[in-house]
Amino acid sequence: MTAQAQQNVAVTADGVEVRSRRKDFLKAFFSNRLAVFGTIVMAVFILAAIFAPVVAPYGPYAQDLTGKFAGPSLAHPFGRDELGRDILSRVIYGARISLTAGLAAVVFSTVVGTLIGLTAGYAGKWVDSVLMRLMDVLLAFPSILLAIVIVTILGQGLTNAMLAVGIVYVPQLARVVRSAVISVRERDYIEAERALGASHTRIVFSGILPNSLAPLIVQATLTLATAILDIAALSFLGLGAQAPSPEWGAMLTDAFRSGYGVFVSGQHAILFPGIAIALSVLSVNFIGDGLRDAFDPRRRR
Amino acid sequence: MAANSDARKMNRRDFLKAGGAGLAGAALLGAAGCGGGTIQGGQGGGGGGASSGNVFTYGRGSDSVSLDPINATDGESFRVTIQIFDGLLAFSPGTTDVVPWLATEVPKPENGGLSYTFKLRKGVKFHDGTPFNADAVVFNFNRWIYTKNPYHKGGGGQSADFAYYSSMFGGFDDKSVIKKVEALDNYTVRFTLRKPQGPFLRNMAMHQFVMASPTAIKKDVEGFWRNPIGTGPFKFVNWDQGSEVDLKANPDWWGKSYPTSKGGGGPHIKKLVIRSIPDNTSRVAALTGGSLSAADGLNPDDVPAVKKHGGLKVVLRPPLDIGYLAMNNEKKPFDDVRVRQAVNMAINMPKLVQAFFGNTATVASNDMPPTVPYFNKSVKPYPYNPKKAKKLLQQAGVGGGFNTDLWYMPIPRPYMPDGKGIAQVMQNDLKKVGIKAKLVTYEWGTYLDKTGRGEHHMCLLGWTGDNGDPDNFLNVNLSSASATPKDALNVAYYKNPQVDKLLKTGQESIDPNVRRRVYYKAQEILHRDAPWAPIAYAKPPIGLQDSVRGYDPSPTGSEALNDVYFSGGK
Repeated sequence: MTAQAQQNVAVTADGVEVRSRRKDFLKAFFSNRLAVFGTIVMAVFILAAIFAPVVAPYGPYAQDLTGKFAGPSLAHPFGRDELGRDILSRVIYGARISLTAGLAAVVFSTVVGTLIGLTAGYAGKWVDSVLMRLMDVLLAFPSILLAIVIVTILGQGLTNAMLAVGIVYVPQLARVVRSAVISVRERDYIEAERALGASHTRIVFSGILPNSLAPLIVQATLTLATAILDIAALSFLGLGAQAPSPEWGAMLTDAFRSGYGVFVSGQHAILFPGIAIALSVLSVNFIGDGLRDAFDPRRRR
Repeated sequence: MAANSDARKMNRRDFLKAGGAGLAGAALLGAAGCGGGTIQGGQGGGGGGASSGNVFTYGRGSDSVSLDPINATDGESFRVTIQIFDGLLAFSPGTTDVVPWLATEVPKPENGGLSYTFKLRKGVKFHDGTPFNADAVVFNFNRWIYTKNPYHKGGGGQSADFAYYSSMFGGFDDKSVIKKVEALDNYTVRFTLRKPQGPFLRNMAMHQFVMASPTAIKKDVEGFWRNPIGTGPFKFVNWDQGSEVDLKANPDWWGKSYPTSKGGGGPHIKKLVIRSIPDNTSRVAALTGGSLSAADGLNPDDVPAVKKHGGLKVVLRPPLDIGYLAMNNEKKPFDDVRVRQAVNMAINMPKLVQAFFGNTATVASNDMPPTVPYFNKSVKPYPYNPKKAKKLLQQAGVGGGFNTDLWYMPIPRPYMPDGKGIAQVMQNDLKKVGIKAKLVTYEWGTYLDKTGRGEHHMCLLGWTGDNGDPDNFLNVNLSSASATPKDALNVAYYKNPQVDKLLKTGQESIDPNVRRRVYYKAQEILHRDAPWAPIAYAKPPIGLQDSVRGYDPSPTGSEALNDVYFSGGK
């Protein structure tokens, strides 16, 4: 077959398949109950975050010292925290911070990781070795520990915490992208593009990258879950969001700051931000799992 | 106090930091109240009948740094050394009143305060069997005063290098207020001073200046911090560093027949275990679980929970501390007294104190607590008055409000159990008058360092006193001499020559009338100039098993436990 003929076949085949693939994909995804659950929960969180000023019954910073650790009531369904602030409102506003922070971190690691993975996978040889050993060095540290070290160097604060978590997850994404690149690099259609005289950039971005997207999306989604958790952890340790920010991890640490008494009279101040963190992490994980299964033809029924 | 010039030279901040988490304890930044102690009756039996076995287990927040008291600065070291050592004078239980201790009476100043003669108690023996006498006193003081003395060392890796001596007595060698210490006979010692020192007798009663066995020091000065030998009610047994110190009763203690009202009696418990449990919540849980007889460093929020638990009680340490918001007088707009007064009026202090301290503190009116003599009762706190605050800001030309920063400490201190919460409430109150403060914090050591360099606009800090003298509060925290550029304790950078002069007079006078006059005046000026917004005088709570008797917390942060016993078994 000539290269020309081969490409024509591929194009037609692709054109036919794209539609049914997308349908299959959606069907597979939405028949996964956990993935649907995750999607709904995340939709609720995202809507709450966007419409926080409308949805939240109080301001996130409105204090009332007389209502310190007041338990859940009609006026304050989630109770109040150590400064008498409404926990429901803070959880809602906190969704803005926790979710955007997690997302920003993942966008950072995805962009950087993809660039590194593409370069390493496509260039191969010593470039691959050097970049991947570098990634191995980063991977050698437990993620949260590495994030703590980075924040300590950069200085505490939410932006630096996002950056730190972003850096920590670069290697995972780079590795996923690299292996995807290697698996498609020698395929015929890439060969064809190369034979047609396409530039490296074009081959990488229009040939290789789109065909490596599935594992990348899955990995990025799963990373989002851990990123949300890590940012909450950093804030819990006082390295991330700073007072009086209603970031969920920071809310937890605020409650714990009151000591033993919080276990006796203020459990709700721990419970609700904790639930928010757990739910969002779980949901994102379900979505990630659903995406993975849906992308994988072998797992489809 | 003499804490001036020389202490500063040795870098006060290092001095402070030396205590590590406990921070300099006691004294110095009030760390004192921190650690806790636990007393455990019996084998974890805790509760009532705990007298069985007569073991008292004290839970506290961190370990001691050095058991050579002159070479320590952290409250957690003094908590242990006060059990092992005695000084010539002491503070009577629960107060900072000076009482005779190894000296048989509190000496009168002679020569206009230039000399003091101490009569010593006879028949007192160190734990190693050697006698306590005038030579031992001279030996100890010479070791502290003279940098060339062969025993002017020791204290271990984190030794404070006699910091307390230079801080309280003006320095070493030629700078030392104490010029000469001589034995007149076997049981009489005369101190000759270079100049009169107002707080001299109070200094002598501090638990830093206690008598160590000269024989033991001569034998192994470098090892003394791990193997302390004094004359006190308890003998050192073992120190498992990072975990616990074990002491046992000294049945031959001279003080067993001394009046309990002055701190004598006992020791009744056979064994004293002082255990570190850094996590506050775990420590309280250990108390409620019965494995501790006492727990120090309770959070005010823990108090209702502990009380509710049953079988436990809470005692409050008498306040010898102050927590405050310092405004940097050298930075705009806080160089304007009207702005500082406005801040004082913008913060609803009574409400804040109620919320964060409950009944474990009172709202501060002066820059030193009422337990200190010459406290000026006629000075009242600024009233909460946001309207007037706004007006003052207008007059100062910042009526439109301004942006600034407010620093808070990252860890609980006895005088400030929740810096982060307090800062948020202040931020909220200040916003209402147009002052937009950004909250800033650093790790504790860094925090002290940076505030000591004056990098802040406003910062929360506090002080726990050493000897109950006004000099130890006002001079240390608010004199120009303390506003050193790199390691200031005067973090407001408040400099007023008139106040400096009053404080100096107070420091060098031994006439109570003169001292009263100058300190009263100084407090009035300080109130008007408002370098701080004073917050509260805290009474750090201590949790005890119900069966514990005779526990009398000292305002200084450390108390000897000789008179402590379990009900049912004295």
